[in-house]
Amino acid sequence: MTNIPHPEPAIEVEGLCRSFGGKQALRELSLTVGRGELLGIVGPNGAGKSTLMRVLTGLVRRDRGTVSVLGMDPAHDGLAIRRRCSYLPGETSVYQQMTGRGFLDFAWSFHGAVQQDVVDRLQELFRLPLQARVRSYSAGMKQKLAVLAALAPDVDVYLLDEPDRALDASVRHDLRTVLRDLHGRRKTILLSSHHLGEVETLAGRLVFVVGGGVVPQETVAAARTRLARRLRLRLGNEVVLPVGARVLAREADGVLLLETSEHPLQWLRGLDAEAVLEAEVGVLRLEDLYQELLAGART
Amino acid sequence: MIASKTWREIRWMGLVYLLILELLLIPAVLLWPDIYGDLQRSGLLKKVDYDLIRSITEGITNRNEEIAWVNWAALQLFFKGVNLAGLACAVLVGTGLFARERESMTLEFLLARPVSRGRILWQKAWPSALVVVVPVFLANWSAIWWARSIDQDLDFWPLTLCCIHSSLFCLMFLAFTTFVSVLCRVQGHVAFWVGGIAILQMGVYLIPRLRRYSVFRLSDFDWYGPMLAGNLGPERMFDLVHHAGNTSWVVLATAAFYAAAWHALRRLEP
Repeated sequence: MTNIPHPEPAIEVEGLCRSFGGKQALRELSLTVGRGELLGIVGPNGAGKSTLMRVLTGLVRRDRGTVSVLGMDPAHDGLAIRRRCSYLPGETSVYQQMTGRGFLDFAWSFHGAVQQDVVDRLQELFRLPLQARVRSYSAGMKQKLAVLAALAPDVDVYLLDEPDRALDASVRHDLRTVLRDLHGRRKTILLSSHHLGEVETLAGRLVFVVGGGVVPQETVAAARTRLARRLRLRLGNEVVLPVGARVLAREADGVLLLETSEHPLQWLRGLDAEAVLEAEVGVLRLEDLYQELLAGART
Repeated sequence: MIASKTWREIRWMGLVYLLILELLLIPAVLLWPDIYGDLQRSGLLKKVDYDLIRSITEGITNRNEEIAWVNWAALQLFFKGVNLAGLACAVLVGTGLFARERESMTLEFLLARPVSRGRILWQKAWPSALVVVVPVFLANWSAIWWARSIDQDLDFWPLTLCCIHSSLFCLMFLAFTTFVSVLCRVQGHVAFWVGGIAILQMGVYLIPRLRRYSVFRLSDFDWYGPMLAGNLGPERMFDLVHHAGNTSWVVLATAAFYAAAWHALRRLEP
């Protein structure tokens, strides 16, 4: 038996605009998420990621554009969409006065079915004291509870706004495993995060949202090409840089961020090996790419 | 689930409210024989040239003790007890219904559930209405028993009619508070606006020339007195054409405020 891809994407957004007062939160945003795809969204605070998720769930109205989630319009079929989607808000939303167990029962009572294996797996990883009141939880524990509430329902689409917020590195690693598992079940996942490197390893595709719009793939590709000619370098005292490189920034501990006119390794050959205390070449940091796109959007 | 969650959160308020109503009621009933004696001996209140006080005084100092007792019960149980404690309870219960969810950032979670906003409002409205309404009936029905201990009577049916009207009046305030709670982001702001409007209305009520413009005219002493005496039945409570129909106005206002709350909630963006 072969899996025939569904002809209609899970999420389709075209020319989406939304402003709050005078501020435009979403500007002609367009994106498509295929059925069973795990799409990562990255962008600075206020880029419009959360507004996009809220529009998709029908919590926020759009000013212009077309939006389709599982073939339905959130403006008219919000309730039907929410039956088939699980949404994790960007701000941790848990009832402080409830016990952890009470909160989960409350959250899951609205959905038809819960994936018990996902619950068991996450609870094994998170080890939350579910009999205790949520108000006694730490920020990380509250986020774990919210994640558990959002990932357990057996739905078609998961809209996760920064699920790894307030979680430490080991828990984020475990969460990635669970998300991969969900993705393996052909669930559609739209995921936003500030842990850029981790999203890149997890998501099949990455979309950059800056200033309320998606940055075109060509712009991202051009930025990646530019970044490929960059290197970080820490040199000994009084070393003169050979021609063919310009200093972009001086970072902490005397590290120089350089852009070379030729391949950085080629350029490095012009330097005395003894003079180079530390060099980082060819490591494409997503943070750098992010900064590059932000700078491009500003200019 | 939303209804049971709301009920669990506010049921203790209902108990405290019932206790307060009972505490206001018991001494008012039990001390009546002494108070009536004092009122007969004293002419002080009769000299107060203020129409509100005069109408109350004429009622509670009547030479016929049965008439005086009914007016006293109307004054203490409903004009004072329910208006005071009931309104406070309605405002306290209503402020938190939506504004607290917004303040604690759980409203987005709630609105993202696969449940319509009308259903969310309904499942928050009916438990809060129970908390505001049921104690009015329980406390005032208990007055029948307390009155017997001082050899006075309170008829069940007229008392129940008073309970219906006064609890609907509190429900109107609850509906208004619910509406404001949907509009405000902070619980304190809801209390400020609703409390401020209630105090303003009370101020208007205390100015003789402006009294007819106060919402408290709908829950006045001269409404409860005749009702408790059995002279004002359901036909006059609800008849807007031939009588004041205060109860109908209260019902209409309650429905209007809940409709406004529903409309505001449908438009609400977290």
